[in-house]
Amino acid sequence: MTAPDDSYKKEFDAQLTRRVLRYVQPYLKLVIGGIVLALLISLASPIFALIQRHAIDAYLTPLALQNVGSLDALYRGLTMTALLYAGLKVLQFGLQYAFALVIGYLGQNVLRDIRADVFSKLQRLQLSYFDQNPVGRLITRVTSDVDAINQFITNGLVSLIQSTFIIVVYVVIMLSVNWRLALISFTVLPILYFATNFFRTKLRDAFRDTRTQQATVNSKLNENITGMLTVQLFGRERRSALDFDHSNRALLTANENSVHWFSLFMPVVAVLGQVAVALILFFASQQILGVGLDANGALQTGVVAGAITVGTLFAFIQLSQQLFQPIQDLADVFNTLQAAMASSERIFGVLDTEEEIADKPDAKTLPNFEGRVDFEQVWFAYDQTVTAETPDSDSRWILRGIDLHIQPGESVALVGATGAGKTSVTALVSRFYDVQRGAVKVDGENVRDLAQHDLRKHVGVVLQEVFLFAGTIESNLTLNNAEIPHERVIEACKYVGVHDYILSLENGYQTEVRERGATLSTGQKQLLAFARALIQNPDILLVLDEATANVDTETELRIQQALVKVMRGRTSVIIAHRLSTIEHCDRIVVMKKGRVVEQGSHSELLEHGGYYARLHRLQYAQADAAD
Amino acid sequence: MKRLFLCAVTSGGRLDNPGHFYVKGGLRGGQSCGQMPLYIPQKVKWYGPNGAFHPRPCGVCCPAHELSSGRLILVTQNNFLSLSPLLSDMSIPNMSAPTRFPLDSLRSLWPYLKMHQRQYVIGMVLVIFANSINLLPFYFIRLVIDGLTGARDGDPGTPGITLAQAGWYALGIVVAAVAAGVFMLYMRRMIVVASRQTEYEVRRDIFAHLQGLDKPYYDRASTGDLMNRLTGDLSAVREMLGFGAWQIVNIVSGFLTSFAVMFSLSWQLTLIVLAVVPIIVGVLTYLARLINVRHRLAQEQNSKIAGKAQENFSGARVVKGYAIEDREIGDYKAMNLELLKRNIALTKVDGPLRSFMSLLLGLAFALILLVGGRLILTSNGAFTVGMFVQFVGTLERLTFPMLMIGWITGVTQRGLASWLRLRELYDARAQVQDVPGRTDTSIRTLDGDLRFQNVSMNYGTREVLKNIDLHVPAGTFLGITGPTGSGKTVLGQLITRSMDPSSGVVRMDGHDLRVIPLRLLHDAVAVVPQEPFLFGDTLANNIAFGVEKQELPLVKTGVSVVGAPPVPNIPQQPDPERVRNAARLAGLLDDIEGFPDGFETLLGERGVTLSGGQRQRTAIARAIVREPAILILDDSLSAVDTETERKILDGLREVSQGRTVILIAHRVSTLRHADKIVVLEEGRVTEQGSHDELLELNGHYAELERLQRLASDLDEDDDAIGDPEAAADRLAARREAIRDAQSHQTQNSQTQPTQTQTRQEVLK
Repeated sequence: MTAPDDSYKKEFDAQLTRRVLRYVQPYLKLVIGGIVLALLISLASPIFALIQRHAIDAYLTPLALQNVGSLDALYRGLTMTALLYAGLKVLQFGLQYAFALVIGYLGQNVLRDIRADVFSKLQRLQLSYFDQNPVGRLITRVTSDVDAINQFITNGLVSLIQSTFIIVVYVVIMLSVNWRLALISFTVLPILYFATNFFRTKLRDAFRDTRTQQATVNSKLNENITGMLTVQLFGRERRSALDFDHSNRALLTANENSVHWFSLFMPVVAVLGQVAVALILFFASQQILGVGLDANGALQTGVVAGAITVGTLFAFIQLSQQLFQPIQDLADVFNTLQAAMASSERIFGVLDTEEEIADKPDAKTLPNFEGRVDFEQVWFAYDQTVTAETPDSDSRWILRGIDLHIQPGESVALVGATGAGKTSVTALVSRFYDVQRGAVKVDGENVRDLAQHDLRKHVGVVLQEVFLFAGTIESNLTLNNAEIPHERVIEACKYVGVHDYILSLENGYQTEVRERGATLSTGQKQLLAFARALIQNPDILLVLDEATANVDTETELRIQQALVKVMRGRTSVIIAHRLSTIEHCDRIVVMKKGRVVEQGSHSELLEHGGYYARLHRLQYAQADAAD
Repeated sequence: MKRLFLCAVTSGGRLDNPGHFYVKGGLRGGQSCGQMPLYIPQKVKWYGPNGAFHPRPCGVCCPAHELSSGRLILVTQNNFLSLSPLLSDMSIPNMSAPTRFPLDSLRSLWPYLKMHQRQYVIGMVLVIFANSINLLPFYFIRLVIDGLTGARDGDPGTPGITLAQAGWYALGIVVAAVAAGVFMLYMRRMIVVASRQTEYEVRRDIFAHLQGLDKPYYDRASTGDLMNRLTGDLSAVREMLGFGAWQIVNIVSGFLTSFAVMFSLSWQLTLIVLAVVPIIVGVLTYLARLINVRHRLAQEQNSKIAGKAQENFSGARVVKGYAIEDREIGDYKAMNLELLKRNIALTKVDGPLRSFMSLLLGLAFALILLVGGRLILTSNGAFTVGMFVQFVGTLERLTFPMLMIGWITGVTQRGLASWLRLRELYDARAQVQDVPGRTDTSIRTLDGDLRFQNVSMNYGTREVLKNIDLHVPAGTFLGITGPTGSGKTVLGQLITRSMDPSSGVVRMDGHDLRVIPLRLLHDAVAVVPQEPFLFGDTLANNIAFGVEKQELPLVKTGVSVVGAPPVPNIPQQPDPERVRNAARLAGLLDDIEGFPDGFETLLGERGVTLSGGQRQRTAIARAIVREPAILILDDSLSAVDTETERKILDGLREVSQGRTVILIAHRVSTLRHADKIVVLEEGRVTEQGSHDELLELNGHYAELERLQRLASDLDEDDDAIGDPEAAADRLAARREAIRDAQSHQTQNSQTQPTQTQTRQEVLK
């Protein structure tokens, strides 16, 4: 259900961190700006407590009048102070806003770059990579893993820098104002640090447990809803309900556990804060009242004027509270950094995946494409552990020495049982896979020497399962190529006979289709696929034409006609199940277990009286039965 | 509770065949109409019995005999029997009290709240306590500060403070903090835990309710939608109950106590605050709304971009096949940029929220400093520095509550809307269920004698079964065949009462299926469906899935989880010997023994993926092990090769002694040994009899037999591939074929120019 939560197992890794930081490099200006802003904010923050201290000591204590002299002067001073305070607040807000934006830009840009890199990489990886990795896992790479890296940068690195700045500035200022009081207020901070660290770890574990239990509950829910009718038919309701209740209770317990730790954590921090206040209050009183120990440890009594003021007391209460947040952030920072390690490792894992089917440095393009296809003693297996040296008898071979020569403009039908290797033949023409032995050549050039992109532009594929993208019908036909004029789309649709159907839809060519084309019938989807291939106007056409059971006779007829039309005049390799289609082909190639066993024209093969002849007889009989 | 059912009536006064109509959206109680209330607040599309669209429902409530054609009516539960089948999940509970969102929504939540009444009440009292005590530290600070100033000003008229006193006040601060901390701790353990418990209870109850819903419901419901409700919506409700409830009390009590203290300190300053706070709250609420909107926009783009990735990875073949990677990457980058823009837009309102709050409070402080300072200087000791400090501190306490006001409306609105969606699940009713008064509990056993009497089944306007009359005596081995869509599966589903027929009666042992207790019926019938659903459990548990000898305790619903006994342990599945035997009969034993973990092999996502044939055989074992009176196999040998099929059929004959077996199949080899074979075409029985009789009839079945004989000839040819002699033949054939191909090539190259021409004509 969810990706395995193994993030906590990963140690902090400098190598990975450096690689992540490489993504930050292009935004060096933002980084520098951010650091400067963080520094300015750190410097500005303690000023407010100092202004308050000044206000209290200079204007608000009973002694103030004696010191300043006139009430008017006091008022003026007070007004100036208030204005200064307000002005600085606005400035501070400006700095913080700017900082938030800078960090936002930085994080989002890095996020965007990583996401684009991973996506582009995945687009370029060979098809076999997609055969091996479930789509769900790949999605996680471009979503939650990338997000984890963003957390790493914005929450981890940034708060590391910012918190350090603030702590240093505060410590310096507090020490310089009154080092004794400063030291006393610092006593709480280590406790806060360790308490935060302790609770954060506990909470992280508790939340992880919660997520695991939630995933269990969700997958059981999903399973039970999907299989509810089975549950009912087999009278399993009570057992399922009990089983679900177990998981549901476990989730509740995990949640209660999280609440347990959380409910402890927050009050502990709050109490620590007040302890700091109480300490400052008491020791400041001690100094103000002049009861205390002097530097030599002797007990002193009597008023020691000026050592500490009420304003200083108030300022210290403020400053010590403001130190709490950065200390807590710092305590959590390594958790965040660590959490991103596993994600970055997975992402770099994708980026480092070797592109097995890559263009050679001097890959050729074919400017004048003719459409000749040659298979020369081709041996092929999907299993990548199979090499040219693997013995012929190995059961993993899919194609076993195929020799096939297709002339430009020739149409060839591949016929044979499931697993005979027909689909593989078509996949090799587009070089979706590389062959282990022999060579596949297009226009006399080994496909390995051609630029993949260029090659595939000349090869159109109509797949068994028509894949429709979310978008409009038109965007699916043009494959989002805005350069294809609308007229050409209409022309192609008229040609394959799907134009009228499209017009009958609510928004015509602009009708939205959903993923996997849930809104269209099988037959219509197939016609659209032909139209799509036709619009792309390939030189070689590969058609994987599944016999479709759920197509009415009229649509069936249309598909047949459309197929014949799109084949006309271009090299076509067709895996066909419809007799009429096969009969229209120039040549029929019968395959069995990775080998070509018969080939020839329809009439030749019928005359030959082999496999094809019998297949033909059977299908004819079926067709008769259907009528 | 009075239940009401909606139905459409096809013809004047006749209720025997009410037909179907479909409702999109939802129904809810309310507005009165005649004597009985009907209220449909949501946009609903109505379809009449013939599929015609009705612009609006006519909520006419009148006695059944006055009904005229095509009307939508309300009927009370008493009429249920005569109105079956109704799409009864459209029932509207508790219609007697017309209600309105969101009050109604809250009222239906009440039973759950009531279970945790104590926790919520105590929790809220604790919030109030904590909020009050939290104001004490500032009081102590004030006393110390004033005492210190008094001691320092050299004026004997102002009271000073001793260090001991200061020490006590400092201790007071700590004590107050500890007390408030303890209150907050228990508050969380009360309210937040209660909300988690409510979440558990709602999930438990809805799960139990879902178990009672039937096939017609699940045919319409989407798993994704149900899952969304049980996860996202449930979380939103829980958040409203836990965090929401707490915050509302927190905000109210926080404001009240703080303002009381501030007022007692200085009414002048309080007036300033009163003028400023609404502005702050207003701005924050506005920001919160803005953040909500932008957050949603960013989320939407986020799912869009994830959807794009999903699509491109699943459609890798198309993307690569048409070499459109670059265009797709460009597209993705554009979407990526849009996401960046939306996230930045969010950051613009979201990022500085805290500093904005600090700015507003800072400005308020400056104002208070100005006015408060003058007060101190002029009030002659009535307003002191200590009081000033206490005032400022008390005001700062309100930072969080002020921030929360903006959020709390969102949390509540989402919570209520989500609860409404959850309510819809509770409101769904099964059409196929035991009905007190109708169900005959005196029926204890079933032998498996089946009789279809003039049974028809309609899906909307489509008739899938037409006037089926069929008798299957107990112990018969019946084969059913026919083209796709001829109604074979539906026939099987009527026997398990997955749905009730539109007209006619299905009887077992002479009883109408609708009066047989469902549990008894399900115990008597075992089904192997076309596409069996297996669970993510061990093979053994999957096979023993439906074996339940001891009565398991029922999971109680509608009760509080507080103090509930632990969930009883589920007894282990029955003896392995029985499971093993079933696996053997289903021809699965060899496969299972081939797995390293044997019967303990885990299936599904985290385990082994079975092949189609293995899945089918597991499902067969699962059915056999129950030793049912009737065994239905719905095309469940299709993915099994002929030899295994023969083994399974032998096994079936072994267990089918005295049982009724209904075998739906396409292969003649599967059907030929049945006692009787029925051919269904377009919902009608067109042929029936034994294998030989049907061959003689020379109809559909005979044709099927002929085709399959031809096909098996081909299969044999396929098998001959390993034969060396055949291989030699094949080589010769290939050489010949290549020669043919070469001659073709020359032929083709000659015709090529014209072909290229054609292509150019096709697409200019």
